[in-house]
Amino acid sequence: MDSEDDMHDANDLESLDDDFYSGETGMGSDDGDGDYEFGNNASDDSDDGNLNRQQENYTVLSEDDIRQRQEEDITRISTVLSIERDHACILLRHYKWDVDKVHEAWFANEESVRQTVGLYENPVARTFSRELLCGICFERHPCDRMCAASCGHFFCYSCWRGYVSTSINDGPGCLMLRCPDPPCGAIIGQNMINLLASNEDKEKYSRYILRSYIEDNITSKWCPAPGCEYAVDFVMGSVNFDVSCNCSHNFCWNCTEEAHRPVDCTMVAKWILKNSAESENMNWILANSKPCPKCKRPIEKNQGCMHITCTPPCKFEFCWLCLGAWTDHGERTGGFYACNRYETAKQEGEYDEAERRREMAKNSLERYTHYYERWATNQSSRQKALQDLQNMQNVQLDKLSDTQSQPESQMKFITEAWLQIVECRRVLKWTYAYGYYLPENEHGKRQFFEYLQGEAESGLERLHQCAEKELQTFIDSSGPSKDFNDFRTKLAGLTSVTRNYFENLVRALETGLNDVGESGNQPTCSRSSSIKSGKGKNGKTRTIGGTTSRSLDDGNHSHWSCESCTFANTKSSMVCQVCHRRR
Amino acid sequence: MANSNLPRRIIKETQRLLSEPAPGISASPSEDNMRYFNVMVLGPTQSPYEGGVFKLELFLPEEYPMAAPKVRFLTKIYHPNIDKLGRICLDILKDKWSPALQIRTVLLSIQALLSAPNPDDPLSENIAKHWKANEVEAVETAKEWTRLYASGA
Repeated sequence: MDSEDDMHDANDLESLDDDFYSGETGMGSDDGDGDYEFGNNASDDSDDGNLNRQQENYTVLSEDDIRQRQEEDITRISTVLSIERDHACILLRHYKWDVDKVHEAWFANEESVRQTVGLYENPVARTFSRELLCGICFERHPCDRMCAASCGHFFCYSCWRGYVSTSINDGPGCLMLRCPDPPCGAIIGQNMINLLASNEDKEKYSRYILRSYIEDNITSKWCPAPGCEYAVDFVMGSVNFDVSCNCSHNFCWNCTEEAHRPVDCTMVAKWILKNSAESENMNWILANSKPCPKCKRPIEKNQGCMHITCTPPCKFEFCWLCLGAWTDHGERTGGFYACNRYETAKQEGEYDEAERRREMAKNSLERYTHYYERWATNQSSRQKALQDLQNMQNVQLDKLSDTQSQPESQMKFITEAWLQIVECRRVLKWTYAYGYYLPENEHGKRQFFEYLQGEAESGLERLHQCAEKELQTFIDSSGPSKDFNDFRTKLAGLTSVTRNYFENLVRALETGLNDVGESGNQPTCSRSSSIKSGKGKNGKTRTIGGTTSRSLDDGNHSHWSCESCTFANTKSSMVCQVCHRRR
Repeated sequence: MANSNLPRRIIKETQRLLSEPAPGISASPSEDNMRYFNVMVLGPTQSPYEGGVFKLELFLPEEYPMAAPKVRFLTKIYHPNIDKLGRICLDILKDKWSPALQIRTVLLSIQALLSAPNPDDPLSENIAKHWKANEVEAVETAKEWTRLYASGA
């Protein structure tokens, strides 16, 4: 296969070398865990504009970051509106932490904002001259032992404390706490809470405010990974929803399922629902039924003899054990309750698992099983790769830098390769959901898709092979090997080529393989060496990995595009070189 | 005894309930538990419950007045916001409770609910459906039930 050659060509390219080394130095200056994130790597700018896009469309926030941003927003509102910070915080909460909305509403109609939010401007003046009746405990108290919100409805401290503590312990609703006087809507802010609540309750309340900054804000969400305390702030309107949290969990910001490019959220939801509903059904059907040998409908045998008659319209009569026609059965084959033919065949090993699978192949669920199995396999391969990556980082790299007498900082390319493998498994997994939902009748697209998927798989295998098997020889070797630098170049090259291929694959699938038209003169896929076109400094090419490039410019002059598989054939050939279909 | 350390507020509320009862409402504490009240509410005039005497029970939980009182109809009643166990769907008994509300205000609200049933926020799905589909007929049933179960006999 020529794709093979292309892949290996990559290793000889200087440009890749450059990429690799510039990446290396950049990475050294990067601090700590930042290294293990996709797309967040500032040093990778030589690689692709795509990465920069990912970098800009979200920010991972730690608790400190959140507090800092929150403080900044409060300060902004407080300064611009010339109001207390406490009031600024109330306003921001009401407008879901949208600074612009607060400005807009406030300057449009301050009075109405104050009314809706419950921030009254003219509190009743406090008088210390007499006692007041507390509307909760019905006792008279001197005014200095009572307090009120901006509305001036006085209650005694003791009742206030009870009121505030009950509300805080009822949950985040306490952020909207109002004056206890029933028709009054005056809001209770944090200052008043701090005056009245116990330390424990104050702490709870301030956590609710912090949470509100993430949960009410439409641009931010908590990372859904269990135990993770980071939040992700997203630039609204960005096309790519996949984000990578500092806890190394990759998820879709839109639906908070795990990252699923190139498949969109609706499809993921459908697929997950299908898996949860169908896998159960499937398991039951596999365990408890056999398909009718004639019409393939699953049949459950819950009582009676081995002589089965399928329900109309099929009405096929067969033997449950050997699935052969009943007409071949009778007293001499064991009668209604046994089947000699089955027993003999079983002894000859005919009814093994493969046989069963082949039988099932015609079952209506086979198509789904096909995609589901592959989806699930890639899922577990990804888990495995993650473990291997960890093992690599914790144990193997140490060993390797010993045997090869090179500093560990020179081994980053191995981590990079493994991270790429993990990412590729993830993409590959979702391509199976994609394939399942790709309409059967769009033959051109299907064929092209399967081709791309196949290439992706073999590309990944190559990378995996190199990062696992070839690396092992260097780990096991007794002393420094002079081939190690060549190996480094090779693995870094493969990583880069594979990354490009997968990024292009994702983009192609995301646009719905729209370049694959049913008519002949659409942009075509030609077998040119894309590595060569990607040789420039920036590596920006419209290529699908090492083998295929879709060229928009050459149109239909020198090539013709196969109607069936879209392959661009040279004008001279009358038969498609790939699928042998006539022009 | 539980009654000995009864909050001043409850004592005061009880005294006022007994000395100046609200029109059409009576509430008296049980002798062995000052937090448990036997309540009678007269069906409001010009409502399907007119002429009926409705018995309720009202209990002031430990947290009262920070938590709402627990109120329940004992007399059977045909009303979209009251279920067959006598439980009442009323905002001030749930999230809209405020410690500045009182037993008196709660019972007045319940009386108002009898005058103005709200089938859009139902507790009893069947009755609410009936109410929305055929109000005249539902009102007739409510009158019938009032006669049958709340005639005060």
